Amino acid sequence: MEEAGNVIFSIGPLQVTSAVTTMWAIIFVLALVSFLATRNLKEVPGPLQSLAEIAVDKLRDYFGGLLGEKNTRKYFPVFATLFIFIIVCNYSGLLPGAGHVKGFALPTASLSVTAGLAIVAFFTTHVIGIRERGLKHYALSLAQPLYLSFLILPLNLIEQLVRPASLALRLYGNMYGEETVTEQLYEIFPIGVPLIMNVLSLLFCMLQAMVFTMLLSIYVSEATEEE
Amino acid sequence: MASGTIALAAALALALTAVGTAFAQGWTASKAMDAIARQPEAAGNIRGALVISLALMEALTIYGMLVAFMLVGKI
Repeated sequence: MEEAGNVIFSIGPLQVTSAVTTMWAIIFVLALVSFLATRNLKEVPGPLQSLAEIAVDKLRDYFGGLLGEKNTRKYFPVFATLFIFIIVCNYSGLLPGAGHVKGFALPTASLSVTAGLAIVAFFTTHVIGIRERGLKHYALSLAQPLYLSFLILPLNLIEQLVRPASLALRLYGNMYGEETVTEQLYEIFPIGVPLIMNVLSLLFCMLQAMVFTMLLSIYVSEATEEE
Repeated sequence: MASGTIALAAALALALTAVGTAFAQGWTASKAMDAIARQPEAAGNIRGALVISLALMEALTIYGMLVAFMLVGKI
């Protein structure tokens, strides 16, 4: 897409864009915060530790309602990591200078980033499905009922392949569209009006992260359910 | 001529998807309100399902908007 124009530098054949450097910064900040929050765990938590505890608690409740108790305990880190990473990426676009300073751009407004996240989601679904039910059962579950499998199997395979594409396009479209709309509003009337869109963005950024992980957990619970 | 047609196509791509999504979202929201009014104790569950279904419908408009942006870029 629009990546070719804003390559900052290249490592061999890999071209590093502003979105990539922003993601590096986000990874570093998240790792630092997690490290500081869990460095010396206490019975009576300090402010940072209680923040982390509340976050983990809420996320566990949220995914527990979708995935069931057993799978949540087993696979919680994957979902929570995706959720926290996407929500921090989305909110990073609201910081001043995003998209205008070199090396700092909203990562999820680039199709390559969201496609990468969607590929992670795709493999998460199928690896968990195969681990929980065994390869044979999992493959057979895509062709149920068996006497109609010549009709059902192609449809199911297409659906499985379309899912990551729609996940990627949804996240990319929302974030990119929001950025573009704010920019257009800024050009029409720079004082005050873009602020309204930014307040809406506060809601939408969280909603998109929620939708991404909620769809992923619905797919996973579908892949693991026993018949 | 060609750029005028592209501009019209871009406007239609967004406008038509927005019309369909608006109807669908209005319908969904009104049904959810009905359900909450009838059974206020289930409001939390209904709200969760409502937000998710609204976001799924919204994706269709977003696709239209992406197409519109691509078309505008071609003028």
